[in-house]
Amino acid sequence: MREQIAFFVSIFPALWEGLIVSLKLSAGALILGFTIGLPMALARTYGKGIVKKIAIAYIETIRGTPMVVQLFIIYFGLPDLGILIDRIPAAIIALGINSSAYQAEYFRGAIQSIDSGQMMAAEALGMTKKQAVRHIILPQALRIVLPPWSNEVIYMVKYTSVAFLIAVPELMARGKMIISWTFKPLEVLFWVGVIYVIVLSIIAKIVDLVELKISIPGFQMSREDHY
Amino acid sequence: MVEPILRIENLYKNFGDVEVLKGVSLTVEEGEVVVIIGPSGTGKSTLLRCINYLTVPDSGDIYFEGRKIEYKQDNLSIVRQKIGMVFQEFNLFNHLTALQNVAIGPSKVKKINKTKALELAEKELLRVGLQDKADHYPAELSGGQKQRVAIARALAMDPKILLFDEPTSALDPELTGEVLMVMKDLALDGMTMMVVSHEMGFAREVSDKIIFLEGGVVSEMGSPEKIFNNPDKERTLEFVSKITRLGPIDSSRGGSDI
Amino acid sequence: MGLNGKAGEVFKSIPYILQGLEVTLKVTILALIIGAALGLILALMRVYGGGFCSRISVFYSRIIRSLPLIVILFGLYYLGADILDLSAYTAVILALSVHTAAYQSEIFRGAIQSISIGQMEAALALGMSKFQCIFSIILPQALRRAIPYWSNEAAIVLKDSSLAYVLGIAELLRRGEYVSARTTMPLLTYTIVGVIYFILTFVLSRGLFFVERKLSIPE
Repeated sequence: MREQIAFFVSIFPALWEGLIVSLKLSAGALILGFTIGLPMALARTYGKGIVKKIAIAYIETIRGTPMVVQLFIIYFGLPDLGILIDRIPAAIIALGINSSAYQAEYFRGAIQSIDSGQMMAAEALGMTKKQAVRHIILPQALRIVLPPWSNEVIYMVKYTSVAFLIAVPELMARGKMIISWTFKPLEVLFWVGVIYVIVLSIIAKIVDLVELKISIPGFQMSREDHY
Repeated sequence: MVEPILRIENLYKNFGDVEVLKGVSLTVEEGEVVVIIGPSGTGKSTLLRCINYLTVPDSGDIYFEGRKIEYKQDNLSIVRQKIGMVFQEFNLFNHLTALQNVAIGPSKVKKINKTKALELAEKELLRVGLQDKADHYPAELSGGQKQRVAIARALAMDPKILLFDEPTSALDPELTGEVLMVMKDLALDGMTMMVVSHEMGFAREVSDKIIFLEGGVVSEMGSPEKIFNNPDKERTLEFVSKITRLGPIDSSRGGSDI
Repeated sequence: MGLNGKAGEVFKSIPYILQGLEVTLKVTILALIIGAALGLILALMRVYGGGFCSRISVFYSRIIRSLPLIVILFGLYYLGADILDLSAYTAVILALSVHTAAYQSEIFRGAIQSISIGQMEAALALGMSKFQCIFSIILPQALRRAIPYWSNEAAIVLKDSSLAYVLGIAELLRRGEYVSARTTMPLLTYTIVGVIYFILTFVLSRGLFFVERKLSIPE
């Protein structure tokens, strides 16, 4: 056991650096995913004609294909069109685009779960549809979406490990590197796994606290109710 | 002759194959309280919703304050600001406190500055007797309290007429009294009101005119005395006595509450 | 259509890529079956198992759902190579099964818990044993309710099977990579791989939706 711990201490600095990269990737991807996902959800819910169709096509294409394929198209494929993107931005873009489709569906689900009477009451007060969406629908939808959205946070942190396939030095890639020095694959993977479990538990706790903090009566839900 | 505040001419509305309104015409004078009764599914709510174009009628004209509302050209927002609406299911904004619910219309629609809007909201909450619930969220209020907040929300826009769509139907019987009380006070203050309701006590005591809507048309209308005591049509008498006997809230109790 | 040489090469290689279909589908289907069995057991342990069983189930689900699939894949792969003598192929199937089992257990648990207590009480009142209640009253309802979530998970497993790539198994993506290297046309090649996956998930989702409708009962 003591040997194991000494081993962990020796590899920890390298893994820590990888973890930081993983967290940065997931933060970048989540922000990008939110920025694209919310407009997509609005376009799919309230848009008409071509706007709605584009949103549906975007969301369903992304959700219908594996993230690795998306990553490979962006990192290996786009240079064919003269678009060269570095590893880390490529990973963030691929993860972010992937996340945007799922986030869009979470937002859409939340928007659609809001009783139609809310929109009606807002319009009856004289609000335009835009005002109603902004002041009445979205503030509620963003609260409702928090539990499933926080699951997306956890997914993203885990899925950053895919970036290892294009040699981004995140946690998994560091682990593989250490394996090639030490020839102790199981030990290294065990500690990598432990780090993921601990980090994700901490993130889950933080998310729960945030939810508690901003919860208002009538909007209590829990992350565990969504899977 | 004074132009009525609201005049509806020959209003038609279908939902798919179902003809809901088949040529409804009526007028509401300023300061009048009009109660609309009729069997369920006969288009009472649809009629109210057509007035502020939450439902767009297929044909027919609506004149508000002497001006015809043009669905395509008019800024509906401005019309709706003057026509308040109270819903059966309250539809309070769930993410806002009672006070914020009342203030949001003035602040976002009328662009009144926020402090003033909140002051106004406090005044309106006081009017419905809920100043002490200002910081409560809808989920923390009883049905009767929710409906009173909803009335305050509509009042805060300073409407020329208030539409009530079965305001007490979603309430437990013991909670209807407080809502009817507020409505009665409004009527006494001279508010023009159009109320879809089967609260016969309220209709008898407060209304100036009762409209019996059936089969998508105005079957009969008249003063409460006439409708209750000697209506022109057999059918009206039958319906009124049935509702009075079996109505969701029996009228003697509603009457004594008010 | 005038295809230039390289693009033509890629299109001619589509049959080669499609040979990976067999592996992709086998891995996906086996993982789904094993994952469903394990997931259902875990869900029953969680809901009806009482203290110890329930805690094991929670622990399993928490840990597995906190681990990236790639970590599980490599873990089982090395474990297989070092100790258990598993092929990479078996390691992939096991990893996907272990991973999806955790998610499926949550799906089944949610579905079981969504069935009202009254159903269980009514069955017990008829004199059924608890075991009979679960298998003849609760599960037939719960599993129907779980189908939409389960088909979502099935699509995820199908897409996740592309990660078998990391263990060098010649499934769709790996074959795509070979073609891309040979033709130096990665954009076209990976787009074709993407289209194949899209068709697969589309057919799978439609198929399961059809099953859902077939099995649906009025609620």
